[in-house]
This record gives sequence, structure tokens and C-alpha cells, in this order.
Amino acid sequence: MPLRSAPLPRMAGHLSFMRAQTKAICDVKSGDLAVLGVPFEDTSAPYAGQSLAPRALRETSVYFGWHANPQFSHPVDIEARQDISTDGLHERLCDLGDISLGSDGEIHEALQTATSQISSQGACAIILGGSDRLAKTVQRALPDFQTAQLGGRSGDGDDFCIAPLVGKSATSQQANVAAQLAAFAQWRDETRPLFVRFDLSVFETPLSVLCDRPRLGGCDLDTVLQWLGALGRHEVSAIMLTGLNPNRPGMGVVKVGQRLMVTALLAFIYARLGFAIDRASSYNSEGKLPI
Amino acid sequence: MTAVITTFHPSLAQPGYRLFDGPLCDVADVGVGQIGVVGMPSDWTHSSRLGTRFGPESLRRATTLLQSARPQGVSFDPDTRHRSKPATDWLIDCGDAEITPQDVDATTQAIAAMTEGLAVAGAIPLALGGDHYNSFPACLGYSRGLAKRSSNTRFGYIQIDGHLDFSDRLGAWGSHNHATNARRISELPNLDVANMVWVGITGWVDGGDLALIEKQGGRIFSAGDVHDLGAAEVMRQALAHAMQGCDELYLSIDIDAMDAGYLPGTGSIVHSGITPRQYYDLLDGLAEAPLGGLDIVEVSPPLDPSERTEFLAAEMLFRILRRFRTRPVAEK
Repeated sequence: MPLRSAPLPRMAGHLSFMRAQTKAICDVKSGDLAVLGVPFEDTSAPYAGQSLAPRALRETSVYFGWHANPQFSHPVDIEARQDISTDGLHERLCDLGDISLGSDGEIHEALQTATSQISSQGACAIILGGSDRLAKTVQRALPDFQTAQLGGRSGDGDDFCIAPLVGKSATSQQANVAAQLAAFAQWRDETRPLFVRFDLSVFETPLSVLCDRPRLGGCDLDTVLQWLGALGRHEVSAIMLTGLNPNRPGMGVVKVGQRLMVTALLAFIYARLGFAIDRASSYNSEGKLPI
Repeated sequence: MTAVITTFHPSLAQPGYRLFDGPLCDVADVGVGQIGVVGMPSDWTHSSRLGTRFGPESLRRATTLLQSARPQGVSFDPDTRHRSKPATDWLIDCGDAEITPQDVDATTQAIAAMTEGLAVAGAIPLALGGDHYNSFPACLGYSRGLAKRSSNTRFGYIQIDGHLDFSDRLGAWGSHNHATNARRISELPNLDVANMVWVGITGWVDGGDLALIEKQGGRIFSAGDVHDLGAAEVMRQALAHAMQGCDELYLSIDIDAMDAGYLPGTGSIVHSGITPRQYYDLLDGLAEAPLGGLDIVEVSPPLDPSERTEFLAAEMLFRILRRFRTRPVAEK
């Protein structure tokens, strides 16, 4: 069962992602969504503070912990006018805690082992970064993986780079979501593990604020929601959140980046749990194709 | 023998800022049709991120600074495409209500007493928050004043907000806090839920609250509706719905309906996608609405080191108060 901490204030009580139950890694079951924090810095990053991201993401996620809050009847997505089912959320979302501090070698080994174990148990790891340099370590835990990338530094040529696309404007990306999804379906090999890199820089710069490496030509929230909802329908082995620096100089009180990432991540979580929000009607009204 | 000193006596300004650099007077000095400003520097009824107790002060400063940069004489207004000049004697700042932290009843009655006095006199109370709970005492006083001034008059209600604020209770904070203000307002005797409209709601809402609003005839326009229909059309429909059978409108402006990327200095941020331009268009849609009272809430300067939040909020006041603060000038 989730931690029934309501009606505690959001900032009080045991902190876990969306007030999910805590679990030991050995108890993770097939189909679970297992949250894992990697609170470490990239020493080559332009600013210090990435290590604070996992905690910031957990703190803001508590706002979405209605499944653990008995005072609410049931949540409704106001845009889609659709009930958000909480079935399965209690049982399948769990928080494993953070990778412990240690030497570089110990951290990499712990992350690789944890990711490998979660994947081998048939669960999906939701990794809260932290530095995107640890993405390589996650990839090593997933033999013969494919990587889909939203934002962040360019990866390998074999990766499916969703956004930002080099040389493309945000408008053309958003208009071409349907075409990109078709291309993704062609690229995807269902026999191989799928790793999703979700970096804050996927968003257009005015929305993200706290992004360590902002890039022009990012996406709006609706586009990222479409993508994460679509990716959540695949058997994703791991998704890693990076690029958030809650401690950008003078910006420690601004919670925009973490709220943006968690809001978007919910589309992925809903889809993985099989109760994706159907935003098709609103997209159709704009001439966009539903996912 | 003491020398006679001839002293130069320059005219001195009142210390501190007043909204739009207006005069600081008592509630009893505000007349019919004037805007009477009431500060509500209170944030202890917010459940998480505080700082809105500094909102009234920041709004006073920002409106004064912005006003000083605007034309002081006849000018062409690019938004209305008409010539206008600044009005005089249109606003009086009545200072702040007496806030008693941890005593919700005392705080509520202190705020309500000021807005009631203004409404009885036929003035238009403009309450500066503070967290959104304070909208309830501001509207409560307006409701009482309206009942005294015109016992059969009913008012419509529009709330621009990222959230419904329609919970009956919120955890440890009970029944009077920033998540329950609209629910408490819905219980006022001269307002029907059927005349309540929410604009800009985004994300998840409580299904029970939503069902209760819609069952009683209230109307909700989401942030997506603002994007799909356009801000002007949404506000046209919202105003028509709110004013059915009503003579006056109470407007509650929660700044957090704007996307947090643009406006981070508020307690409960949302990613609505609503831009400053869209928000201003919503307010422009109420340019000729029969405003009886209004409030602007959730400006939290400590949560935005860039200070842009308070200036965006100040511009909201410039928009909604345009017809009061300017007078049209005949075209040549």
C-alpha cells in the first residue's frame, strides 16, 4: 500500500516519489515501475546542483500523489475530461531510494547492478538524475539496447533522437509528431531493451528555466506529453531524467523545472500502467493526429 | 541671539508605495464608482510555498513604477487603438487589513469589514493578496456590502486560476485555506454556483469537486480551451454565463493560471501553456464588464528572484482597470 500520509502537508512525512510505497530492489516484480535516484554531480557541468535534482523531483511529485490521499475522491484530467485511474498505481509504482554515495567506481557499479536487476525482473526503472553522464552506465546494464532520446546531448548515431532535432524549428517538430511516431515504429526493434533519455532541455527554453544546458528549438509540453505517452506504450526497460539543476544561481526557490518534468513524466507512467489519458479529441481539433 | 533660518519646504510624498501611486485614505473616504484598494498581506492559509504576504507591497511598487513610465498626458493606446488620458481621483489606497496569523476568523472579518465598507458606499473593492484564501474574506465583505446596498441584487463570479480551489477541506488546514476559497464563496447568499465560472484550469482536478460544480450549473474553461477557442472567445462565453440574471461581477485573478515558465513567483505553479499575452487578452475581455469587486492573489516576490512576476501581475491590473484609470479623448 502507498504511504497514507495525507492529510499531512506536502512537505511533511516520508518522502517518496508520488508518495509511492518504498521497496527493496529484491522485491521488485514484473510490471513494476521502480524509481531510483542518482543524486550526483557532473563535475564538467556549468553549474553545481544536479545532485539536488532527485530530491526536487520527488518533492514536486508529491503534488500528484492523490492515489495516497484519502481526502480526494478521484483525480480527473481537466483537459481530456477523463478520470485518471489509480488502479495499479498503488501496487506497481515503488520507490527504491537513491544510489549511495561512494567512489566513482562504486557509484557506477551500483547503478549498473540496480538497473540490470530491475530490468531482469521485468520492471521499468525510472531513474531520477543527476548527471546525464551516468546514462552510459545505465546503457551498459541493458544488453543490446536501443535508446530514444528527448533532449540532452547528442548520443550515438543509432539512437532515435526525438527532439531537439538539429536544424529543425520547434514548429516543424510539433507538426511532425505523427510522422516521427511512424518513423519510431519502424526504427524500434521490440526484441531489444528500450532506454529512454528524458532531458529537461527537450523543452523550449522559456518553459524550463532551470535547465543546465538550455537549447533553442525545444518542444512545448503537449508535444512532450504525446511522446512520453507513446513511449510508455512500449516495453521500456529504463527511463532516465536528466538536465535539471534546481540550484541554478539565485534560482533555488524556483520550482519550474521539476514541475515541468514530473508533469510530463506522468504521461509515461499512465501509459505504462495502461491508463493513458486520451487527448486525441483536443489534438484533432487542432488538426494534429492522435497517437 | 538665534539667527533666523529660512527653511525650504518641498512638498513631501507619503512614505512607501500605494497602488498606482494613488492617495492613501480611509475606507470612508472612497466614493461611488471609485476603486478602493485593500491589502491582504497574509499567506499562512497557503499549504506549501509562502511569500504572498509580500504581494500587496510588491504590487504597489510595480504599479507605481510602471505608471511613472507611462504617458502622463493624452496618448494613443495601441491596445485599444484610441486616444486617452490618465484619469484622476479614480483610486484610493486604503492600506492593509489587519492580519492576525493563526486566527482565521479575525483575519477574515478584518478584511471583510474593509471590502464591505467599500461596497456599501458604491465603491469597487480591489483586494491585493496574499494567498488565494484571502479572496474569500474579500468577496464575503463585497457580498455583505452589496446586500446592504441592494438587497435583491445578485452577482456573478469569474475566477481566472490554474486550480478550482473548490475543496470543502484540505487536510491539516481544514475548511479555510487557499484550496477552499471558491467553495466558501459559493456558499454566499447572493451568488449561485450556476453563475460561477472558472477560466484557465489545468492538470488534474478532484473529480468530486468537478462533478459538484457541473451539477449545479457552474462552468469551467480549461487552459486547453483558452488555446483552442482563443482567450477573447473564452472570456466572452465566461462573462455571458456568469452574468445570467446578475447585475454585477466579482472577479478573482489568481496569477498562477499563467504558465510557470513565464511567471514562477507564485505558490502553486502550473504548466498551463498560457502566455502573458493570452492572460492579458482574457482580462481585456472584461474591459466593459460590470465589475462590482475584484481581487488579485498569489503574487509571491520571494519565489521569483527576477521580479518579473510582480510586473506581469501589475500589468494585469493595468489591463483590468483600463476603463477606470484612463478617459477617452475625442479623436481629431
